[in-house]
Amino acid sequence: MRFLKRLAGHRLYHPNALEHEAKHAFAPLAYGPNSLQYKVLNHTLEKHVPSYGFNERALVASLNDLGLGSSVLSAIGADNSPSFLNVPPSVLELAKFHLVTKRYAITKELNSATASLEATQSPTSLGTLFQRRLELNKPVASHLSQLLAILSMPGEFLVKSALPELHRLSDDMIYFSSEADSHDFAWYSKRVAISCAFVSSELFMAQDKSPNFAQTFEFAAEKLHHVTKLGQYYTNTEEYMWYTLLMSINLAKSQLTRS
Amino acid sequence: MLSRPLAKSLRRSFSSLQNVQKAAQTSSIENLKTDHGKYKALSRAQVAYLDRAIRVDQAGELGANYIYAGQYFVLANKYPHLKPVLQHMWDQEVHHHNTFNELQIQRRVRPSLLTPLWKLGAFAMGSGTALISPEAAMACTEAVETVIGGHYNDQLRCLNNQYEMETTSGKQGQSQEIKDLTSTIKQFRDEELEHLDTAVEHDSHKAVPYKVLTEGIKLVCKTAVWTAERI
Repeated sequence: MRFLKRLAGHRLYHPNALEHEAKHAFAPLAYGPNSLQYKVLNHTLEKHVPSYGFNERALVASLNDLGLGSSVLSAIGADNSPSFLNVPPSVLELAKFHLVTKRYAITKELNSATASLEATQSPTSLGTLFQRRLELNKPVASHLSQLLAILSMPGEFLVKSALPELHRLSDDMIYFSSEADSHDFAWYSKRVAISCAFVSSELFMAQDKSPNFAQTFEFAAEKLHHVTKLGQYYTNTEEYMWYTLLMSINLAKSQLTRS
Repeated sequence: MLSRPLAKSLRRSFSSLQNVQKAAQTSSIENLKTDHGKYKALSRAQVAYLDRAIRVDQAGELGANYIYAGQYFVLANKYPHLKPVLQHMWDQEVHHHNTFNELQIQRRVRPSLLTPLWKLGAFAMGSGTALISPEAAMACTEAVETVIGGHYNDQLRCLNNQYEMETTSGKQGQSQEIKDLTSTIKQFRDEELEHLDTAVEHDSHKAVPYKVLTEGIKLVCKTAVWTAERI
């Protein structure tokens, strides 16, 4: 139960932004866009990850570019617990940074887009946001399998960062799109289904050799279509079952009163 | 006949109330822009409490909605004199439920994980007590509304005590958001207690194992509240 709470409980009440100050610019990250960590990680992600991949070499290369000492490396990884066997903490931070900033990027574009065309524009569809998030993966596509390996390594990072971040991504995609949200258990199943669709699209993208990842986007659209269709099947079945139940009870009652 | 009020659509128009609320919100926003800056960010504990409050209230109103659905289903045609009474209370519960549903979506609170269980349990409780006798159904209402009234009062106490915020310009006060939530809960609490009176007027005390029924249901409700806050 603890584990479930940790997973699902991370999205807390959002106070309205008109009245309350926002707490952090990039909520799960402990630093803002003006910090040293942000500068280094952003530089790494843009300049060196596409060639080196998600590893310490990329980080060191951008430290050299920025003229910083290698001790910054340990400062960057300070949030993550030390791991001796698999991935260094600074690389974990890099992966987390990638996830969080890309998640904010899809909604940031949305805000600037709707601000200009506000009234006339209909809200963005879930599919658009989904595709936009995949497009942001394009520069690092050749290293996606490495990233997914880091993220899915069983351990603290998986439970504390990777899975909640996946949940936040699908939550954001539903909240900021025109997708109707639910008040009951479907709230969970919808998020899980979209998360699954996203991860499988990423896996597909890691192997995709087609020009400009055309096949990935095709695959993603189809996956998403399946998810929504499955949801519709479920709702329709539930509605029909409820209707039939009440009908049969009423029928039985009416027969009983007649005889 | 059951599916009508259970349908998601807000068929009943509570337009007057909503208009008032909207007007209050817009005016407050205008005030904010002219008067003083924003309120400081809520602390983690405050946010967590609001999160819990919305979740448990939503689950509670869902339960209430289904309890009345069960009672209505069993009693409405057998005892025609109870029909309008039940219908009135049920409509109010549907409105409460819709209000909290909206809040849950707007404020991005996750619903309770056990909603299917609450639905089933509440419907069973409502129809089960109604099957015993109409008095037992009223005793059930009485017990449930007692617990809910107390629960809402606890929440109001906490909202009043713990949400004095400071603005960036140094003023103290509650944000309109908290004030709105408080007034909503106040109104709902009053309506729930009205239901309690209605139940007593309709002979809830004459239910046959009165003590067993009410105490049992109170215990169930308290457990459900405790669980819905957490899971």
